[in-house]
Amino acid sequence: MESAREWIKCDESAKSLMDRVSMERPSLLLPPPLHRAPLCAGNVVEIVGPSPSAKSYILLQAAINCILPKEWNGIHYGGLERLVMYFDLDCRFDVSYLSQSLKRRIVRAQGPDSHSLVEQDTHLDEVLFLACLKRFLYIRCYNSLEFLAALKTIRPQLQTESEGHGIGVHFLMFDSISAYYWIDRAYKPLSSAISNRKPFSLQSITEAVVQELRQLLQFHPMLVLATKPALLGLEFSACHITRKQSSSPSATGMLPLSRGAERFLYREYMPSAWQVILFLVDIA
Amino acid sequence: MPPLKSLQHQFPSIDSNLLHFCASHGIFSVEDFLVHDLYMLVALAERQTSSKGLKEGIAQVLTFLNNQHFPWMNGVELLESTQHNKHFLLTGFDGIDTLLCGGLCEGNLTELAGPSSSGKTQFCLHAAAHVAYTYMCSVLYLDTSNSFSSKRISYRVNRLLASPNKGEKGRSLEGIMSSILSHSVFDIFSMFETLHQLELSLSSQLFQAEIQNSKLRLLIVDSISSLITPILGGKGPQGHSLMLNVGFILKKLAIDYNLAVLVTNHTVVGEGGNSKPALGESWKSVPHTRLLLSRDQMSNICNMSILKHTSMACGQTASFRLDG
Repeated sequence: MESAREWIKCDESAKSLMDRVSMERPSLLLPPPLHRAPLCAGNVVEIVGPSPSAKSYILLQAAINCILPKEWNGIHYGGLERLVMYFDLDCRFDVSYLSQSLKRRIVRAQGPDSHSLVEQDTHLDEVLFLACLKRFLYIRCYNSLEFLAALKTIRPQLQTESEGHGIGVHFLMFDSISAYYWIDRAYKPLSSAISNRKPFSLQSITEAVVQELRQLLQFHPMLVLATKPALLGLEFSACHITRKQSSSPSATGMLPLSRGAERFLYREYMPSAWQVILFLVDIA
Repeated sequence: MPPLKSLQHQFPSIDSNLLHFCASHGIFSVEDFLVHDLYMLVALAERQTSSKGLKEGIAQVLTFLNNQHFPWMNGVELLESTQHNKHFLLTGFDGIDTLLCGGLCEGNLTELAGPSSSGKTQFCLHAAAHVAYTYMCSVLYLDTSNSFSSKRISYRVNRLLASPNKGEKGRSLEGIMSSILSHSVFDIFSMFETLHQLELSLSSQLFQAEIQNSKLRLLIVDSISSLITPILGGKGPQGHSLMLNVGFILKKLAIDYNLAVLVTNHTVVGEGGNSKPALGESWKSVPHTRLLLSRDQMSNICNMSILKHTSMACGQTASFRLDG
């Protein structure tokens, strides 16, 4: 009887659950157009669109928002002051563009009078700029092997960086997640006599990536943002977002980021393992 | 990546015990290790009698893996290395250099698309001459369709040498011409071979010695599409795989050895009768910058517009005049 009563007794109240969840997995304020989706740490979001539809630009703006502080020397910047880890899988990241956009954001926050690019450097708070840029962590991979090696050894890196900065990593970004799709698809499995040997293929690589991400998110809740070029549906150049949440695997849908855009003919081409981690939620 | 066995000498904890344990789970090479669930493997290792040694061995394989990828960099380090190593190369066409904010960027792959006789090869030859002349560096021209013309290049170089504003001594036509190397490549497999050789010589710095200590800064592939178009199509993924492999090798060369890479692409008729660059959707993820060239048939004025750029808005245009 006593044990049953013990068992029935509630673990925590809704309020304390709420407090705990919002502490562990805070909901994140994102720059438009991602602000329309209620996202929080632990979600995996995929941004799909034909090329060019500003997918990388959306990632970059979110990254800048994350590395900027909320307030600095009495000026409001509205950032999150957290670390960003960026996987450049396409090898097309342009750091000078990041620095330009960051400078522009800093100068704009400092005052409405100094908008011109010429004045930017004189008004720029160099200390703040470098502090922000240090919160952006970058890695480049040329193939799936390097990508997997980097992903499997990310945890000690994550640990040292967050200890060094005294703040956690909020965003994990992949641009783009399907960069090696065609190359991996062409891997022919070796004919081997050993039955339990996993073939090195697109399927097994994707499974390994997903499984690694899952483990990582369990211990370090972060918002994962991944871009993926749409290979079909070229007629509509609108950008769409698919939002996926691990709690409701049955609901599916897409959120068009630009209003009035027709749904384009979207076809998933990544292996199902990748879709499993990305449960779709209808927001449109 | 190597078989696990070959790591034995380097890492003492990778012993026969670990190899046996891994083999029983179908892991023979580092690739197998990469696609395997390591958390499960560690959990299984804990059940063994020699769990301590096994876990140490797995940790050492992870240490090995940690050296197999690029190191993490923060934004400041990345910006510094870019500012230090990646410079713009002027092409010699003022309008185009302004359009591209300083010309062709080292570390970037630039694609020039345009219909036949729109001036793609002219642009490449001109840029090769101008870069070799201005920066005293060497230029490698991979010619896939017999379009390389030393005559046109020497014409350009002579005009540059005759320009009065620069009083440089010791610049001879011969010296500049010998720093522009042309190499014919007619199929995708010899392309891989050539690029592989290039990477080998760049990494061992043989290349510099070979051509009088002048650094290679510009790589031109004219045209990349005539190599790739024949292998595309069909049902298998092989054609696309080769195409993206070439793309990644070119980007790797550009980034690791600070080369500006310029490739040309032809155009095909898309939906609605508009012409668009060839090679399809998957290729779009390869170049950093895509430029579209068109030419007024009556005059020698070429028009260039930005189709895609990593840091600039699309749609801006500039024109230049072809002569000679």
